[in-house]
Amino acid sequence: MGRVLRPIVMTTYNDCVAQIQQMLQSTVAKGEVVGEDVDLIEELGLASLDVMEVIEQLEDVFDISFPINELGDVRTISDLARRVQQLTDR
Amino acid sequence: MSLLEKLEAAQRSQDVLQALGVHAIGATIDVAGSATEGEIAGNRVVLAGTNNYLGLTFDPECVDAAVNAVRSHGTGTTGSRLANGTYGCHASLEQELSDFLDARSAIVFTTGYVANVGTISTLAGPGDVIVLDADSHASIYEGAKLSGAEVYRFRHNDPEDLAKRLRRLGERASRTLVIAEGLYSMLGDVSPLKEICEVKDRYGAYLLLDDAHSFGTMGTNGRGLAEDQGCEDQVDFITGTFSKSLGSVGGYCASRRHDINPLRAQIRAYMFTASSTPSVIASTRAALKLIGKRPELRTRLWNNAKRVHSALSQLGFTLGADASPVIATIMDSPQQAADAWQMLLDAGVYVNLVVPPGAPKNLSILRCSLSAAHSAEQIDSIISAYSLVAEHLLSRPKAAAGGSL
Ligand SMILES: Cc1ncc(COP(=O)(O)O)c(C=O)c1O
Repeated sequence: MGRVLRPIVMTTYNDCVAQIQQMLQSTVAKGEVVGEDVDLIEELGLASLDVMEVIEQLEDVFDISFPINELGDVRTISDLARRVQQLTDR
Repeated sequence: MSLLEKLEAAQRSQDVLQALGVHAIGATIDVAGSATEGEIAGNRVVLAGTNNYLGLTFDPECVDAAVNAVRSHGTGTTGSRLANGTYGCHASLEQELSDFLDARSAIVFTTGYVANVGTISTLAGPGDVIVLDADSHASIYEGAKLSGAEVYRFRHNDPEDLAKRLRRLGERASRTLVIAEGLYSMLGDVSPLKEICEVKDRYGAYLLLDDAHSFGTMGTNGRGLAEDQGCEDQVDFITGTFSKSLGSVGGYCASRRHDINPLRAQIRAYMFTASSTPSVIASTRAALKLIGKRPELRTRLWNNAKRVHSALSQLGFTLGADASPVIATIMDSPQQAADAWQMLLDAGVYVNLVVPPGAPKNLSILRCSLSAAHSAEQIDSIISAYSLVAEHLLSRPKAAAGGSL
């Protein structure tokens, strides 16, 4: 997985998307970006452990905790970004 | 996906294991008369892949107690604890467990799995929070899921990560149940329980310790990891099992800090499943007495563990943790682990093969577990079987190896 960016204070949905895309950099060819609506497991081919790892990095960067009850709902970057953004708002 | 397509997918993942060329999962073991010897596929083997830490499954006192109980109280209770399934022996065992642990109360369940699922799902509910160690046993995850609470994981054995999670919860930390284990059964590593206790106290949360593998094996009196680390008064709830050190089957929840008796009328896995048969309870009670009476069992277990740990380290294996009753060697790949497993079996030693996806950190592991009942000669044969593996399968040069995770 890619390196994490600096901590972000006020977080928008777009910040979250950019952060996740940055983290997924190593899974695609150089210069390519994973689309917001690509299914991370079925289309991008990540293992659920890889997704967990991305989530753990997001938890550190945004200082949030992601409930594991909701892991099953995360299919795309967009799903993840929306939830992370809400969690930073709490 | 149709209802049964899931089964086909499951079969495919089992086929992957079969393709490794071994029949390690669910191997049939014939045991006759000994805690440490058995027969697998026609080979006589030393059993070094059980949880028979104190070797009590064939102890004459435990066997006699079970035989006498089945003669006098019958083969089964035919009912649940709350209905017709509480006999005097169940209540006596609860009292004896409370006395042993110095607990206010203790509840006996039919298995350790059921103890965890029942206790966790009832203690926490919707609106509450559970923060559990990421490497927790399946029954802990299951109980957490069933509870309806919000569930978070903290990084395995990482009190700082736990502290972060509790800080992020703010006031809700006081409605939070933290869950950790004592000795972890796959890598043989031990949790930093004292620090975990300090963190949860700082944030006003509660702690449930699943002491399945440390009960009987750790602590001056065998009371487990909390005794060993001097934090028994800080642990809110302890769950455990009779299927490891106590050599039978069953589980319990106990507490020094709280009276848990009211849970009896709330835990569905207590109210709606049959209670343990009297013979099982009888051998468990006998084994519990022996843990108190024979501290030398623990000494022997740890001496065996230290001998094997230091030998495997010298042979160049990468080991999962410091010496403990579970000694994991980390192999390079599932195939290498499977080949090593078969080689050990052919050399007359049975251990557990643990490969992804069921393994912590996706590692490929050989899990060797020791017993107080292993003789010096059996320990020798375990070590010499591993030396064959080291000679034929380990690629690392001896001098550079012997590390820990
Ligand atoms: C950590 C842990 N908790 C709970 C259990 C369940 O115990 P039991 O075998 O009594 O169901 C086990 C054993 O499988 C375990 O390793």
